[in-house]
Order: sequence, then structure tokens, then C-alpha cells
Amino acid sequence: MGEFGTFLVENLTQFWHLTGFYNATWQHLVMLAVGLFFIWLAIKKDFEPMLLVPIGFGILIGNVPFNTTAGLEIGIYEEGSVLNILYNGVSAGWYPPLIFLGIGAMTDFTALIANPKLMLVGAAAQFGIFGAYMVALALGFMPDQAGAIAIIGGADGPTAIFLSSKLAPNLMGAIAVSAYSYMALVPVIQPPIMRLLTTKHERLIKMKPARAVAQSEKIIFPIVGMLLTCFVVPSGLPLLGMLFFGNLLRECGVTNRLAKTASNALTDIVTILLGMTVGASTQASTFLTKETIFIFALGFMAFIIASASGVLFVKLFNLFLPQQKKLNPLIGNAGVSAVPMSARISNNLGLEYDPSNYLLMHAMGPNVAGVIGSAVAAGVLLGFLA
Amino acid sequence: MYNNMRKKLLILAAILTTVSVGAFAQARKGLRINEVMVVNENNFVDDYGQRSAWIELFNSNFAPLEISSVFITNDPADPTKYPVPLGDVNTRIPKRQHIVFWADGKPSRGTFHTNFVLNPEQPNWIGVYDADGRTLIDSITVPPMPYNSTFARKVDGEGVSALDWEVRSGEEGSIITPSSNNVIKDTNKKVDNFARLDGNGFGMTLSAMGIVFTALLLLSTCFYIISRIGAARSQRKKMVAHGINPAEIARTDKPEGDSGEVIAAIAMALNEHLNAHDLESAILTIHKVRKPYSPWSSHIYTLRQMPHK
Repeated sequence: MGEFGTFLVENLTQFWHLTGFYNATWQHLVMLAVGLFFIWLAIKKDFEPMLLVPIGFGILIGNVPFNTTAGLEIGIYEEGSVLNILYNGVSAGWYPPLIFLGIGAMTDFTALIANPKLMLVGAAAQFGIFGAYMVALALGFMPDQAGAIAIIGGADGPTAIFLSSKLAPNLMGAIAVSAYSYMALVPVIQPPIMRLLTTKHERLIKMKPARAVAQSEKIIFPIVGMLLTCFVVPSGLPLLGMLFFGNLLRECGVTNRLAKTASNALTDIVTILLGMTVGASTQASTFLTKETIFIFALGFMAFIIASASGVLFVKLFNLFLPQQKKLNPLIGNAGVSAVPMSARISNNLGLEYDPSNYLLMHAMGPNVAGVIGSAVAAGVLLGFLA
Repeated sequence: MYNNMRKKLLILAAILTTVSVGAFAQARKGLRINEVMVVNENNFVDDYGQRSAWIELFNSNFAPLEISSVFITNDPADPTKYPVPLGDVNTRIPKRQHIVFWADGKPSRGTFHTNFVLNPEQPNWIGVYDADGRTLIDSITVPPMPYNSTFARKVDGEGVSALDWEVRSGEEGSIITPSSNNVIKDTNKKVDNFARLDGNGFGMTLSAMGIVFTALLLLSTCFYIISRIGAARSQRKKMVAHGINPAEIARTDKPEGDSGEVIAAIAMALNEHLNAHDLESAILTIHKVRKPYSPWSSHIYTLRQMPHK
């Protein structure tokens, strides 16, 4: 009985050493609190629930303490574990292009085709990326790390994950969480900047309704768009190619089922896997560092610069446009590629000052141009630094 | 029926040609002779503990490359001199990696021992031919070399002329690297250069924003032109349909002003003013419903059949 008792106690002790209670550290508890906060934000405040619920729960999964030396093969960074297999889409960078396929299949580029000059607003908003790049360098990050962090300013989660997986894999968790957090906070971050940089008179500018766009133009757009942008920046091919491919599926009129699958089922599946694994990759040991704090600060700054540069560019553009063709600067913030949230903010703010001034369709132009612009910017950074 | 079949065959042929040409372009063409040692006195040793001449091949693709069935030769008149044997797992070269063949004239020692030797007295021509025995993938003429020296590409897999090669003695700064990179990179040069020459990021910002603006400006200009052409064509079609001379109308009519709202307002105003219509009890909307057929969506194929009793 004595030997049997010792055997039982030893087994139970061993088991106790495997439990989360034994292996928990304060860092784990902090990360679990962060995960719960994300879930609370999503459910209670309705902040991007489709992203924050998977990410928040992923953070919980990734931060359940366990004995990493026990060879359980359960951790996301342990080769061959289930989580590690699912994480391959993030680490090898193939989830983001699939998301872009879905975005392309969901996005109506009509507003942009009707008024092609709005593409330049989407380009101007990319200043946020490079402003943050300069500050990141000043904080001591290496150029490749700075590029990966700065892409947060593009307000595009998949692009941020894609680029950071190539340039700074060790920072990817923090970058992805930061990018998605700020995308969720677009309604909080952007309006004060828009109000600060515009006069009341400018906010009341009514833009001419967009012209009707022929179906043939909508079909030509993804083909020409892909060829032109990828000829300039071939390194953006995975993102831009899939984006425009998805859009062709949508617009060509003969692949409705494929477009529907790409924009619904496929995007949902990849969003679930991407969100959950990105969340799980934020393990306390790698996430709670000084760099993460810098990344969040830089991401916030990048968002502000991007939104401001979009608004200011429209104001600058207006100097060269005739009176009847002036643009409302409230659509400038939509140059960041948080689709369609930032366009919705332009619309809401416009309606606040003039209840008959609907800016949504006008803002969708720079908004989808921002998606293209941020993918091009990511391609440039990849080409320069990889 | 015949035309339809012919069209399908043409499309299939075009796809096959594209795929096969693309596959060839990306695969075997990427195989490179990378470094050659002709006289091996005290250098690399083979798995039999012997020293002999060696030829290093490099897979310059960013994908694995299977080289069984390609030919290695030192005689342009005999391109199929040494066929790399089939069925050896080691003939699959990982992306951007190397493989060494021993030119010892002893093919019985295994896959990586060729059936020819190199001549230390005179220049050695070495060629690699594709599986068809006719397509030359890569070749180099190695000049007579000192003992224990190699003739190597300055940068792995890069360059097309002999100027891109150099003699390496094995001394410091002239390293011999069998089965390894000719250029040893301990850091990312691009990143180092940006860190050194563009410490504040101004250069990156300027050039990257320039590229982003150029790309989107190109797209914007392109679509401006396409929309102009489209508008002009549809206007012309409309006029031709109404039996109007397009050249005459083009002088007076401005199609860009015809937004839906303007047309609707004019129509309503005319209706009010002229009272042009009788009492209308309903609105007729004609909506074309298209149901493109696909076997994937066909009920005949996708529904379960009722079981026979």
C-alpha cells in the first residue's frame, strides 16, 4: 500500500506540474485578461466582432499555461501540433491572399471606376505607413522590422500579417493584434482628426453623383488593375492578384457561384482560422515585451497620419479642381483600407453636418483604392527589404 | 457541333502549351553549373574517402527541382554522356540549394559519380542537357586550373558569361564552397544598406510613395481613358440606333451631364407639364433573369436519385 500510495502521489504530482494552475505566471494572466477584453469589446461594444471574437478567443487558447518541456505537442509554435498546422497559413502567409480573394469578390469598385481620380486619395493615405516607418527607425528598429510595423498604417489586417510574416516573423503577433485592434477602433480614432482638419464649409461640400458604370468597364477593371499594379510591383502579386481575381469572379457574371463562395464561405473559414491562430500566436513570453508597446504606439500613430494625410490630400486636390467638381475632404479618411468602416464614417460625419449629404458611395472610391494602395505599399516594402 | 468541339480543343491546346512552357521555363531552366574543381589534391572528399574532380550544380529556382534524367557531359558531341539515374531521392534539389557530382569516371560508385573525368591539361567544357538530350540547360568552359582551385560563379546561379566566373584558390576572400553558397551572406544586404544609407527613412518614404502614386496614377489614367472611350461608344451606338448622325450631335450634346437624376427630373417635369400620360394603374418592371447552366448546379447531377424498389 505504501509503494502504491507513493506511486499515486508521484503521478498526481506529475499531473499537477502539467496543469495550467502550476505553470501560470503573471504574464499569462495579463494576456488572458487582454483576450477577455477583446471578447468583451466585440460582444458588448460591437467593435468588429467577426475579428475580435476569434482573436480574443485565440489569445485565451494561446495563453493557457502548460509545461512546454513535457513534449505534449499542443503549443502553436511546436512543430506538428494541431495549432501549429493551422498557424502555417499565417506563418507561410497564405491566409491573407485568400482573404483578399474574398475582399475582391465582395467589393464593388464602381465608385472608383466612375471617378478614377479618387485612386490618388487612396495613395495619399499610405503616408501613414511611411511616417510610422520613419518613427520606427528613430526608435531603433531595423528597417525590415520598421517596415513590418509601419504597414499597420495601411489599416489592413491581412496585408499586415502577410508582410510581417515575411519581414519580421517574431513581431507578427503584436503587429496583427495591433492592426486589427486599430481597425476596430476606426470609429473612435478618425472622426476627431477629420473634424480638426476640415472647416464647416468644407464638410458641407456636395459632390456630383457618380456616373453610371458599364458592365464591360467593371470586367476590364480587375484585369487591367492586376496587370498594371503587378507590373509595377510584382512583389504585391499574391495580394493584388487574388484581390483582382476575386473581383473578376464577381463582375464577369458567369461565375456567380464561385464569387459567392469566395465572398462568403471561404472568407468566413479563413477569417476564423486567421483570427484564432493570430490570437493564439500572442503567447505571453513573446508578446509582453517593450517592442509590443512600441508597436502599439507606432500603429496608433500610423493610423492618425494615414487618416490625416488622406483628408489633407483632398484639401490640396481641391485647390486644382473647378468649383463644381470639388471633393468633400471628409472622404479623405477613407483612403485607409478599413473597408467599409472608414467610408461609413465619412458618410456619418457628412450627414451630421448636412442630413442630405450622402458621402458613402463617394467615400467607397478612396476606400477600395486604399486596399489597392496598401497592397502596393506592402509589395514595395517587400521588394526593398526582403 | 464540330465548331464547338474545335473551339474546346483549341482552348485545351492553348492551356497545355502555356502550362508546359511555363513549367519548363520555371523548372529545369533554373539548373546551373555553379562551381567546378578539376584537380583535387587535398580538398573535398567523397563518401569513399577519395578525392577527385567535382562539379557543383545549383538549383536557382525558389522551388525544389528534380534532376533525374538530365544529362551531364564533358563532350558537346555526346550530350547524353552521363544520365543522372532515376529513382534516387537525393536527386531532388531543394530550392536554392546545391548538389555535387564527382567527375571520377566511376559511375558504379553511385548516382553522384559520373562516367567521365576532367582533363587537368586543357580547358574542360561541361554541359547539362535536359531529359530530351537536345536542350542545353547550362554550360561552361573551365580553363586549366591550378591544384586545389575552383572555377566558380561570383554569385550563386547568376550570370551568363565567363566574366561572371572567377578562379578561387581557397585562401581568405577566395573561398571554395562545395555543396554550399559561393557568396556567404551573414546579413540581409538590402536591410543593411537601408540602415546605413537611409537611417531616417526619408529615402524609403520618397521612393515608396512615388511608386504607390505611380501605380495608382497609371490605373487612374487608364480608367479615365477607358471610361471616355466607353462613353463615346455608347453614345454613338445610341445615336445610330435613333438614326441620328453622331458627328452632328457630338457638337451639341454632352453625355457626361446625363446623370440618372437629371434624366428622371426632366422626365417628371415633362410629364407634369404636358400631362402626357393616361391613368396608369400599375408599374411594369422588366427584369431579365439569367440562369447560366453548369453541370455543378444541375439538379440532374446533384440531386440524389430515388432508390429503385
